[in-house]
Amino acid sequence: MAEVTSNAEPTTETGPPRGLSDRSMRWLFSAVPLGRVAAFRTLAYLFIVWDVLVYSEAARLKSTVPTELYVPLNIGQILPFPEPTTLVVHVCFWGLLILSPIAATGVFPRLLGWPIFLLYFEWMLIFNSYGKVDHDRFAFLVALALLPTIGRARHGDKTMSEKAGWAFRVIQLAVIATYFLAAWAKLRFGGLEWLWGTSLTWAILRRGTEWSDWMLDHVWLIKTSQVGIITFELMSPIIFFVKDRFRPYIVGYFYLFHLITWLAITISFAPHLIAMTTFLHLERVRPLHWAKVGFDRVRGRQRRPVEPVTESAG
Amino acid sequence: MDVGTVGRRVRVAVTLVLAAAVFYGTLWGDDDDFPVGPFRMYSTSRELNEPVGDTQMYAVNADGEEFQFTESLSGMRRAELEGQLDKFEADPDRLAYLAESYHDRYPQNPPIDRIRIVIEWIEIHDGVPTGKSSLEEVVSWQR
Repeated sequence: MAEVTSNAEPTTETGPPRGLSDRSMRWLFSAVPLGRVAAFRTLAYLFIVWDVLVYSEAARLKSTVPTELYVPLNIGQILPFPEPTTLVVHVCFWGLLILSPIAATGVFPRLLGWPIFLLYFEWMLIFNSYGKVDHDRFAFLVALALLPTIGRARHGDKTMSEKAGWAFRVIQLAVIATYFLAAWAKLRFGGLEWLWGTSLTWAILRRGTEWSDWMLDHVWLIKTSQVGIITFELMSPIIFFVKDRFRPYIVGYFYLFHLITWLAITISFAPHLIAMTTFLHLERVRPLHWAKVGFDRVRGRQRRPVEPVTESAG
Repeated sequence: MDVGTVGRRVRVAVTLVLAAAVFYGTLWGDDDDFPVGPFRMYSTSRELNEPVGDTQMYAVNADGEEFQFTESLSGMRRAELEGQLDKFEADPDRLAYLAESYHDRYPQNPPIDRIRIVIEWIEIHDGVPTGKSSLEEVVSWQR
């Protein structure tokens, strides 16, 4: 059950903040409406259905690959996660496929949320334990881990919750960490040479499309794009320092960046894009509610009695 | 509000632990440290004249037909093959597991008798592809 919470201000304490610590705590626990949680929950759990069926299909293919080719990650060696036998892959696949749509309705947020997180985590260990680790799911995994901590949330509920505020803030931090720390990793593994090398040429030659192949003949454009990517990644934390009304534009820019990346090298970062919606006023997007209102309006119009027509005796 | 003192402390601790783990992964970790490893997508730098490798796998079935052994047939993504390439090179018999996987998935098809992994090296000069490429067979397995 969601405890009763304030209905007004997004901050928790009253009075002006006292010092940096107080200011940080208010920022970390800055409340969000439960309706936003409900909307995000629906989106995230429905995404899992598409994810296991299409996006991370490579994990399902492992149901027939002998476990001799399984190279466990460190966490798979430390914690007792099972080897991806055919049975384990099928349990994860069907478990996620059945539980996620139910959880998307908002029922039993903890009872369903925790098993979904564990199944999805195991699914990711399968996906990433055969020689390649993807880097597009950190924020989404954080989201699945934190959603159950919020508890019940109804669509359209304007009640402000600090529990939800904290969870959303940490998911947002994970989203931005994915960008900012990616720049750091480029400098760590590639060095400054990354900026004027041919990493993007390499990516386009291996995964290019008709939208990007033409770039191969223009080295200056490749290098400019690489400088642009690192600049964008290093500047991404700016989103936490701008006024609320500017934030959607910055998020829009992030989505545009991923659209271009997808068009150029068919890498979508889809789970990350879902986690990024925590920056938006998702509670305002209510397709079922709009459909119901529209339906009621149409039905009301049909039921309205027909006005008697008085004929003039001319 | 809906978070008490204990709940607040626990959440702050979780936040700090998660942040520390991710920073550790970024500074000193590697992909094995998933989910907190470094975000190293396309992070290695490439020289302007360094050829680009495109790893491909081919299989020959019992009828002698050769075909590209793609992800949906073998169960392994290209990047996974590349990640385990040193293991396949050290022990080519590991490729037999992929033949086994194929047979499990397509029992009606003729079984695979031979698999080879080749790298297509695409030539680059001053950052621009020259249009030339060469094939290098790096490992093969025969039943």
